[in-house]
Amino acid sequence: MTFQQLIAALDDYWAAQGCHKSYPYEIEMGAGTMSPDTFLRSLGPEPWRVAYVQPSRRPTDGRYGENPYRLQRYFQYQVLIKPSPDDIQDMYLGSLVALGIDLSDHDIRFVEDDWEAPTLGAAGVGWEVWLDGMEITQFTYFQQVGGIQCNPVSIELTYGPERLAMYLQGVDDYRQLQWSQEISYGELRYQEEEQFSQYNFDTADVQMLRRLFEMCEQEALATIQADLPLPAYDYVLKCSHTFNLLDSRGAVSVTERHGTILRIRNLARQVAELYLAQREALGFPLLQA
Amino acid sequence: MSVDLLYEIGVEEIPANAVLPALAQLESRLGDGLTELGLAASSITMYGTPRRLAVIAKGIPERQPDAVEQYKGPPAQQAFDEQGNPTKAARGFARSRNVDVADLETRATDKGRFVFVQVRRPGQPATEVLPALLRQLTLALSFPKTMRWGDGDIEFARPIRWLVALLGDQVLDLEIAGVRAGRTSRGHRVMGERFIEIRNPSEYQQRLAETGVIVDHRQRQDMILQQASELASQAGGRLRPDFDLLTELNFLVECPTCIRGGFDPRYLELPAEVVVTVLEGHQKAFPVENDAGELLPAFVAVTNASPEAADTVGEGWERVIAPRLADAEFYYHHDTRRPLGSRLESLKRVTFLTGLGNLHQKAQRLEKLVAWLHTQLFGEDEVLHATLCRAAQLCKCDLVTMMVGDLKLAELQGVIGGHYARTSGEPELVAAAIAEHYRPRGPEDSIPISPAGRLLSIADKTDDLVACFRLGLIPSSSADPHGLRRQASGIVEIIMRAGYSFSLMALIEYALQILPTLPPDQETVSIEEVGAELKHFFTGRIQSAWEQRGIDYDIARAVMGVPWDDVTDATRRATVLADMRRDDPEAFTELVTAGERPARITRPEVIPPSITVDSSLFEHPMETTLLQELKAAKERVQEASSGPEADYAAVAASLRGLLPHIHQYFVDVMVMVEDERLRLNRLALLAQIDELFCTIADFLEIVQPGS
Repeated sequence: MTFQQLIAALDDYWAAQGCHKSYPYEIEMGAGTMSPDTFLRSLGPEPWRVAYVQPSRRPTDGRYGENPYRLQRYFQYQVLIKPSPDDIQDMYLGSLVALGIDLSDHDIRFVEDDWEAPTLGAAGVGWEVWLDGMEITQFTYFQQVGGIQCNPVSIELTYGPERLAMYLQGVDDYRQLQWSQEISYGELRYQEEEQFSQYNFDTADVQMLRRLFEMCEQEALATIQADLPLPAYDYVLKCSHTFNLLDSRGAVSVTERHGTILRIRNLARQVAELYLAQREALGFPLLQA
Repeated sequence: MSVDLLYEIGVEEIPANAVLPALAQLESRLGDGLTELGLAASSITMYGTPRRLAVIAKGIPERQPDAVEQYKGPPAQQAFDEQGNPTKAARGFARSRNVDVADLETRATDKGRFVFVQVRRPGQPATEVLPALLRQLTLALSFPKTMRWGDGDIEFARPIRWLVALLGDQVLDLEIAGVRAGRTSRGHRVMGERFIEIRNPSEYQQRLAETGVIVDHRQRQDMILQQASELASQAGGRLRPDFDLLTELNFLVECPTCIRGGFDPRYLELPAEVVVTVLEGHQKAFPVENDAGELLPAFVAVTNASPEAADTVGEGWERVIAPRLADAEFYYHHDTRRPLGSRLESLKRVTFLTGLGNLHQKAQRLEKLVAWLHTQLFGEDEVLHATLCRAAQLCKCDLVTMMVGDLKLAELQGVIGGHYARTSGEPELVAAAIAEHYRPRGPEDSIPISPAGRLLSIADKTDDLVACFRLGLIPSSSADPHGLRRQASGIVEIIMRAGYSFSLMALIEYALQILPTLPPDQETVSIEEVGAELKHFFTGRIQSAWEQRGIDYDIARAVMGVPWDDVTDATRRATVLADMRRDDPEAFTELVTAGERPARITRPEVIPPSITVDSSLFEHPMETTLLQELKAAKERVQEASSGPEADYAAVAASLRGLLPHIHQYFVDVMVMVEDERLRLNRLALLAQIDELFCTIADFLEIVQPGS
């Protein structure tokens, strides 16, 4: 199964479970959770079922393309369902079967792993799912998002498609992964990993990034003031990614880190509260559907 | 007639470490609850897997015994008129209890005669009363962390998905979190039948076993150990035992199947601790070692799969472990390209605690602290002094290496520093001290072996403690984010085990003095207050260490009740008293009695310091005798306390010897007489005795049986 077939199989499977297929959000972010499709839609009582791929950027994880497992930009396959269905574990296992994994021939394990995203004011309870000892999915019941208690509770599934595909294809290096029959992951993305690692670690302009952070923070605050939580959230995401770049440049001290995380969390909280209030004013339209 | 109860709470995988504590709660509360209902079981057995908390209670009566309940009504005077006819009050009471007025009786109480009625309450069938009990004790289970799910608002460790509640072959009428109890359990996630009908409690274990689920965790543990040991010996070695890991693994699987895997032997060139951490910590697999305790390139994993899958699963595990070891190897080669000492500069950019500078400054303080300790404890040992200074300087350098920078290997701090010190050509003594300076890492861990490791550990922990207290980061009863209790206990443990004798307060004061000056806005408490808080904090840790050594709490309080400053000396006093209470309780009682009386009479009185005992004021021969005996005892106590180690058994014996004299003194002499000169003179003599007893402890703190 090629990488793109794997994504397509997950799309088909989750569509059959009543999820609508969404597309990557076009702003740099560290994880699929940060997409508005998850962060904002997990708030409030409206039901929600979505599945999408989200390219995820983690500048500090770059290895100049040379580490067989680590990338500064990789993909997350994200499913969010609210409220969490009673048979969600079986639904999830069904997705593995859809990828051609014969469950009775493997060791599948749900190993406790609670999740927390300090910049989003978000926390959840769940597991990492092990397939023969390898972590392939993060499985989380959201308890709090943007500082707001989740009620009803959403379930979030985050697959690591590279790892899964490497396992299914039996390769030990991301570069050897078949993206399609015609081209490999390495052929497509090696140069990008190399250059972005250089940029993230060695050349990004720290002073510029610091100014950028301030500007994005100001714009987020102003846009919140203008009662526009959706555009404001774009600037929260930009703050977060700029902070990650400063971090990979080694420009964030331990103390500063804590303070900056609090600043981003404060923005995320305000956006979440405003968004929820506006949905409520609209009468939570998806509740009627 | 009695029946058996089966109750199974089916859940999504509960965290492994939460299962046993939950079973223990369930067991004791079910036992108590059944007894309260008059339905005590003849036996209760618990079963736990990641997906089920289950109990079988055998021999439960089918019905509660009948009960007679008594209710008190209005006073007799109000209930009956002068002719003895029931009033409105009596009729109202009878109606409220649903009885006939004729059933009322009057009885005398402390507060006069009252109306009473006895109501016979027939026992309920167990099927009627058990559901409420099961529901209540399920919801009352406490877990380290709970969650909500779906659109419900019940909190539990993980979502509840099914319930089996059977009394004999009858399903109990019970619903929790929208789940209705039935007789349908579930099988293994991926093997065998999905749904399993349980006809009655006696077939529970067997029916689940047919699908591969071993519900009895004791049996699972035996299976794991047996299979894993067998595989380890097939790999040419033995299992490296780790009981915590075994317990965790036991509650991660329902159908334990062990598999064996291997890795490239070249990874054995890595420090063994790194390989063990990767195997145990990251992958939860058992390392395999040879008879000499050296690692072999093999591991044993415990899986939840069927034995037929072993080959596929084993290959999968090998492919997960190899890159993790490759990562560690990469760090190791990267880190050892330059000597450990060259990283000192880098410590400057790592903040220690906000307001208290960086790790480079901390290392400089550690050098001063170890030098101070060295002077106190070893005088002039040049080799040790040089070792200590170098180890203190280098001990934090591994924090800026790639290996320790990897969050999953961070717990190897210190150990990695030791390895890198060796590869950098530092003396072995220095490397050993660095490697063990975080020990003891917890109550189960042993203290450092080398004197340099011990002193460096005390210095490092002391610096952490004074720094946190200085910043007001003082642990509360519920939160101790910096692990300060563990650190203080670590210091106490090292001092006690090594028998180090020095002034703890002097160490704390010195450590506080060499901290950087705080910015004014962070300066919340004075140095003196911080010192006092720390001493109080240490008192608690010392008492808890004594408690673990079987020293009673009242003895601990008595020893801490007199001025103390040397942990080892205080420990000797506490140990002597505890031994005496255990081995010779009569002598102990005599000692306490002798110490108590002078203390009781003199302490509430104000005796001006100018008053000294004047024998010309003596009126009774017993006063002279007691003064002589006191002098003799003082000399003996002084003799026993001189020398490097005080002989507190001898001190206690001398003090106890005073009992007959003290006793006789109180028979012969009236202390609290009118004449102030006489009274103060007598009190002064007794105060001297009290002072002498306080060489060991404050005996007023001792709790005597019957007192």
